Amino acid sequence: MVSASSAEPAYLPSSVQGAVKILVTGPFGVGKTTLVGALSEIDPLRTEETMTSVGEGVDDVTGRPHKATTTVALDFGRITLSSRLALYLFGTPGQQRFWPLWEDLSRGALGAIALVDSRRLEESFDVLGLLEEQRIPFAVAVNVFPDTPAYPEAELRTALDLLPGVPILTCDVRDEDAAHRLLIDFVDHLRVGALELS
Amino acid sequence: MSRGPVRPYVITGGRSLAGRDALEFESLLRTVPGVAVDPMVVNREQLAVLEMCRELLSVAEVAAHLGLPISVLKVLVDDLWELGAIQVLPPARPAERAPLALIEEVLVGLRQLR
Repeated sequence: MVSASSAEPAYLPSSVQGAVKILVTGPFGVGKTTLVGALSEIDPLRTEETMTSVGEGVDDVTGRPHKATTTVALDFGRITLSSRLALYLFGTPGQQRFWPLWEDLSRGALGAIALVDSRRLEESFDVLGLLEEQRIPFAVAVNVFPDTPAYPEAELRTALDLLPGVPILTCDVRDEDAAHRLLIDFVDHLRVGALELS
Repeated sequence: MSRGPVRPYVITGGRSLAGRDALEFESLLRTVPGVAVDPMVVNREQLAVLEMCRELLSVAEVAAHLGLPISVLKVLVDDLWELGAIQVLPPARPAERAPLALIEEVLVGLRQLR
C-alpha cells in the first residue's frame, strides 16, 4: 500500500481556470513512470484504484477463480502551462486486465503517448489495439534503452501494424530535455490532427 | 489517517460509486473560502478534503495526498459540492473532441517552459 503523503501539497496558482490531461501508456516496465517524472513539475504522485473484474479469459494464468480484485497504481504528474491552464500526465497501465479503468481515464484526454520497448514489441500490441478501438489520438514513442536495436521506422511500423497517421517518435525518457521535446512533438501532432478535422 | 482501513463503501456512506460523471480525475477543487460546515453532516475524510483544498488542487492530487482511491474521493467531493462547501472547476476540454484553440494553448505553454 502507498501511504498518504505527509508533505504539503504543491498547489496550483489560484488564477488557473481548468486542466487538461494526456495519458502515458504502455506495458509494464516500459518507462511510463520515468517519463511522467521527467516531465512533471511536482514530485510524481500515486493513487491506487481497486478494480473488480469478472469473467472468462481474464487473468487465466493465475489460476484464480473467476472474480478477481486487482489494484492498479496510477502515477501522475503535473505541468502548469500558463496562468490559466494546467496539464496532468497520467501513467496508465496498458495490460488488458486494466481496461475497466480506461473509460474513466480516457474521458476528456487530449491523447495518449504509447511508450514502446523495441526489444519487446509484442507487449505493446494490446494497448495499441485499445487506443485504436477507443479512437484516442496517439503517437508511438520508442523508449531508447542502452541496448535498444535501431530498427528502421518502416520496419517498426509494419511490426506494430500502425496506421499511416500515427507518428513514431523516439526518446530516452530519463532525459528531461528529450522528454520535453517528445511531449511538444506529440502535442504538435495533436494540433495537426485537430487542424485537419476543423 | 489515524484510524484503520475501512472498506470504501463505509467511507462513502454506502452509496454507489457508479454514474458520477461530473467529476473527472483532472477536475480542480477549491474549498469555498470561509465556508462553515456542520461537522454532523460531513465525515472525517471530507473534513480532510476541505482542509487540503484551501488552495487549488486536482481530484487526482487530493486523492493521492489523502491516500484514497480516486473513485472514493469523487463521492466524498460530490457531497461537499452539493453542500456548497467546495468549488469545482471542470476540465478545460469541453467537448467530445478537443478544440484546436485548446491544443494550441497547450503547445504554447509547453514551448515557453524551456
